Amino acid sequence: MDVRSGVVLDRLPLVVEKLPGGRLVTTTADFFIDWATESSVWPLTFGLACCAIEMMAAYASRFDFDRLGVIPRGTPRQADMIIVAGTVTKKMAPRIERLYHQMPDPKFVLSMGSCSNTGGPFYDSYSVVKGVDKVVPVDVYLPGCPPRPDALMYAVLKIQEKIKKMSIKDRLPQTQVAIEAMKQAGAV
Amino acid sequence: MLTQYASVLIFLAFGLAFTVGTLVAAFLVRRYRPSLLKYTTYECGEVPVGQSWVQFNLRFYVYALLFLVFDVEVAFIIPWAVVFKELGLFAFVEMMIFIGILILGLAYAWRKGALEWT
Amino acid sequence: MQAELLAKIKESFPQAAEEAAKEGEYRDPAPVLTVPKESLAALCKLLRDDAALAFDYLMNLTAVDYKDRLVMVYQLYSMRLKHKITLKAALPTDGPAIDSVTSVWKGADWLEREVFDLFGVTFTGHPDPRRILLPEDWVGHPLRKNYTREPDRYD
Repeated sequence: MDVRSGVVLDRLPLVVEKLPGGRLVTTTADFFIDWATESSVWPLTFGLACCAIEMMAAYASRFDFDRLGVIPRGTPRQADMIIVAGTVTKKMAPRIERLYHQMPDPKFVLSMGSCSNTGGPFYDSYSVVKGVDKVVPVDVYLPGCPPRPDALMYAVLKIQEKIKKMSIKDRLPQTQVAIEAMKQAGAV
Repeated sequence: MLTQYASVLIFLAFGLAFTVGTLVAAFLVRRYRPSLLKYTTYECGEVPVGQSWVQFNLRFYVYALLFLVFDVEVAFIIPWAVVFKELGLFAFVEMMIFIGILILGLAYAWRKGALEWT
Repeated sequence: MQAELLAKIKESFPQAAEEAAKEGEYRDPAPVLTVPKESLAALCKLLRDDAALAFDYLMNLTAVDYKDRLVMVYQLYSMRLKHKITLKAALPTDGPAIDSVTSVWKGADWLEREVFDLFGVTFTGHPDPRRILLPEDWVGHPLRKNYTREPDRYD
């Protein structure tokens, strides 16, 4: 695990910015990198309950997700978003957490439906997690019970808007935090 | 005569540049966020149990073997197919004998049940 | 189900009492037999093996918590003869235990695991007595009336 390469490349945009004409380079790089990221958001489909049916409908031909570049992946290693569609029970919560950690960065979480937003109609149950944001950090909350497939597509468009604001200049602090955590865990 | 191979060299260079270039571009654009849990083995969210080196069923090997044999046969048939018009009847009959021997082998494997997947 | 079959059951199991069907509630009600819990396993075996009864399908196995007792409910159906019956057995709320009927109907396996998970009824002779719906480290049996719970990190 080479610590240095990550930090060098993350410092590069800050250095380039200070050069004459460097802003042009970083913003153009931002534009293309964000364009590539948002056009190929591949979710790890996590269909747990009824919202999964609406998610499947969004993938099918009538509401076609593929035209947004959204292809479902079965493994977290190839996914960069997780759509939590359905009720999260306490038995399932550690698995969601583990899968979220196994996804490579950049990762986004889309909480679909009332059950994963806040616990939904099963709020008083003994075994329902009151919102998946108690387990993973959520980027976009999509209300509905279940939300229509076109609402799900709108939520993915919102994630694309969030991606458009990402910049390569902001990478350095997060890389340093991650490397610090690994050092404290004794792995580096 | 050597200049005829220049196109092959250009082709090779383009291929290398395309693959290596994509990997280099990805390396430059990629984020680096190591975390301990990210490197754990994937088992649908569970803590992994058991070994990951398991014994595969024999049918995979048998299929691969048969495929390899017929792939090499095709590698022999292709140059023959390019020039067989000029070679005449003798070459045709010779190739048919070659294919016939291999078809006998395929029939034997078929009857023996090597192609059954279940 | 005909009255003579019911009478036949009752002569082998004199403690079985029939509950009166509420008139007009269902179009085709299954007769309900309340039995003491000790004779339940033997009664189930008789119901499955007897040729005139032939209850080969355990449709449902569940429990109801009235505050002073726990009642086990078994709903049986005969595929061949197309009749139904319901068995009820009362258990004390303190340490409820009953014989397992997995030896009679294999499908009772997971149904009994669910009743153990949610009500805490111990089934003697069950091949795999562990929780099925809740996580293994869950404390308590949620569908009991006296169930309370401290909020944890997911609440």
